[in-house]
Amino acid sequence: MKAVRAFLAVLLVVAGVTAVVLLARRRQPGPEAAMTPGPTAPTPVPGHVVLFFPGDDALLHREAREVPELPTSNAARVRLVMEELVAGSREGYAAALPWAAAVGAVFVDREGNAYVDLSPPPPDAIEGTDTELAVAYATTNSVVLNCPGVERLQLLFGGQQVATLGHLDFSRPLAPKLDLVAP
Amino acid sequence: MRRKAILALGLLAVAPWLARAITVRTPQGSAEVFSRADLVDLAVLLRLTGAEVHFAAAAGSYSVTLGEHEVQFTPGGSLAVVDGRLTPLPGPVRLLDGRVVGSLATAATLLSPLGWSLRGTAAAPELAKVGEAEQLDVSAVRGPTGTTVIIRGTKQKPQVAAGAAAITLEFAAPVELARPITPEAELAGGELHDNVLTLRLAAGIELAGSYALEDPPRFVLRLARAAPVAPLPSPRSGPLVILDPGHGGEDQGAKGPGNELEKDITLAVARATAAHLQSAGLATRLTREGDETISLTDRTALANRLQATVFVSIHANASAARGAKGAETYYMSADASDPQAAQAAARENAGASPDTVQLILWDLAHVANLNNSARLAHGIQERLDALQSTRDRGIRQAPFYVLTGATMPAALVEVGFLSNPEEAARLLAADTQDQIAAALADAIAAFIRNPTPAPSPAAAPSP
Repeated sequence: MKAVRAFLAVLLVVAGVTAVVLLARRRQPGPEAAMTPGPTAPTPVPGHVVLFFPGDDALLHREAREVPELPTSNAARVRLVMEELVAGSREGYAAALPWAAAVGAVFVDREGNAYVDLSPPPPDAIEGTDTELAVAYATTNSVVLNCPGVERLQLLFGGQQVATLGHLDFSRPLAPKLDLVAP
Repeated sequence: MRRKAILALGLLAVAPWLARAITVRTPQGSAEVFSRADLVDLAVLLRLTGAEVHFAAAAGSYSVTLGEHEVQFTPGGSLAVVDGRLTPLPGPVRLLDGRVVGSLATAATLLSPLGWSLRGTAAAPELAKVGEAEQLDVSAVRGPTGTTVIIRGTKQKPQVAAGAAAITLEFAAPVELARPITPEAELAGGELHDNVLTLRLAAGIELAGSYALEDPPRFVLRLARAAPVAPLPSPRSGPLVILDPGHGGEDQGAKGPGNELEKDITLAVARATAAHLQSAGLATRLTREGDETISLTDRTALANRLQATVFVSIHANASAARGAKGAETYYMSADASDPQAAQAAARENAGASPDTVQLILWDLAHVANLNNSARLAHGIQERLDALQSTRDRGIRQAPFYVLTGATMPAALVEVGFLSNPEEAARLLAADTQDQIAAALADAIAAFIRNPTPAPSPAAAPSP
């Protein structure tokens, strides 16, 4: 009986301390909350982007589209381009990323390299060199064309650097490849 | 008494999970930093160095700048971009109550490129500006012929002693580890004590060589399997062709609409090509003889080890565009054959430290290989075009992983599209496979027997 009482006492103490800690945390927001831009965002500036999607001839085709806001920062613009690619073609071209890819982290370094973390493709999602070329260069061509100062793109998958998806070398940033683009 | 003991034990058990502040000592004094369990507030810790820390909400990433150095990382990820170089973090960065947190080891990795180190204990860490001691950054890279361990940040040539399962490096001047050594490739881990760095190796791995490099200064260790390596072949009287049937084993490659498997078609075409080449008097070897799983690096490593004359990787294509058809031939893109790759390969292929002359000679050989690869690819594509049933999709350059480490003229051929139902059925037919094999063998034989001057790089398609 005494042991049960002692156990209940420990539980009460733990619950009390936890409550105090939680309340203290609510009163003092972390520094990152202060760094995150507030709701008073500047007025969006519409713009347009040119994306690349694989066509029936297995070459990449340009598709221009309006976007409600064209960010000025390169990292945000890289994210926008990638999310537009993930959304797919509006002109009937095939998917640049043949799986339900989610865009994770985006980095842009001072050397002109952009890094984009995508959710990894499921097995068998990418078959054949041309499918892999489309993944690599629909993204690279689109990002480099639309983001001034970005010269190369490296895709990461599931937060990891990946050597290859089966054929191409994804272990370092790729430069755009215009000989894959339909005339 | 018993009740007090239970109470104390209970509090001890939950204590690590309660938020608290740890005191971090800095050269300017000390500061309180949020901590929970083994996690600390990274943004606050990084700012103690004088670095600027910004969170870009649109990109979802943090950017830390101090002087010329820039570090970027993102919550939920275990990678950082440090001065333009992807760097694995010892643990993930997380968001906790609006704070960005990570382990002390992760913090140390982020601090190192900014010129700061984290010393002391987990309960009382100390931020210290990197002083005279060199900051060693140890990483391992797996290459076609084994693992290379690179120790960046030192100009010293340490005394190296190789043991059964470890290598010790004794540095004359003070050194510190910029970040904990992460097990990678055949490097199992390592520690530093009193300027002696001990690197633990995976089972069956031993030191094959070591050398210092400059610009930037670094010390390199080459690791290799301890098992007796097949000796290099004695000089051959004639050329050797390595044919690489793409995929195999668990890796089925592309699948056709009738479940035709790329790995079966590539093996059949490779076998038939080998038969044609052998009839023409050319020694030929396949990277796989049956339905086996072989890594891409092992395929090229075999060709390098046997000092092959030509390497041709055979594949069948697939595309989301179901109408796509025809053969394509690729060779390594110039972009993926940059001087860094050339130097890395030169080091891989040198038994010891390559000197400048070796590097120049290797670079010249590499450029010649690129030009010869273009000639080989043209020859193959020309003959595949000549087959009435294939449509020219041309020759291209691309950074194919299997071609990266090849030290001889190399090409990758896609003999047709399995995603196209008509072409898939055709590729499955033995007579079509033999026609393709005859074309490939003819092109390879012509390439070997007609060593005409290589075309100028300008003639080759540019990436």
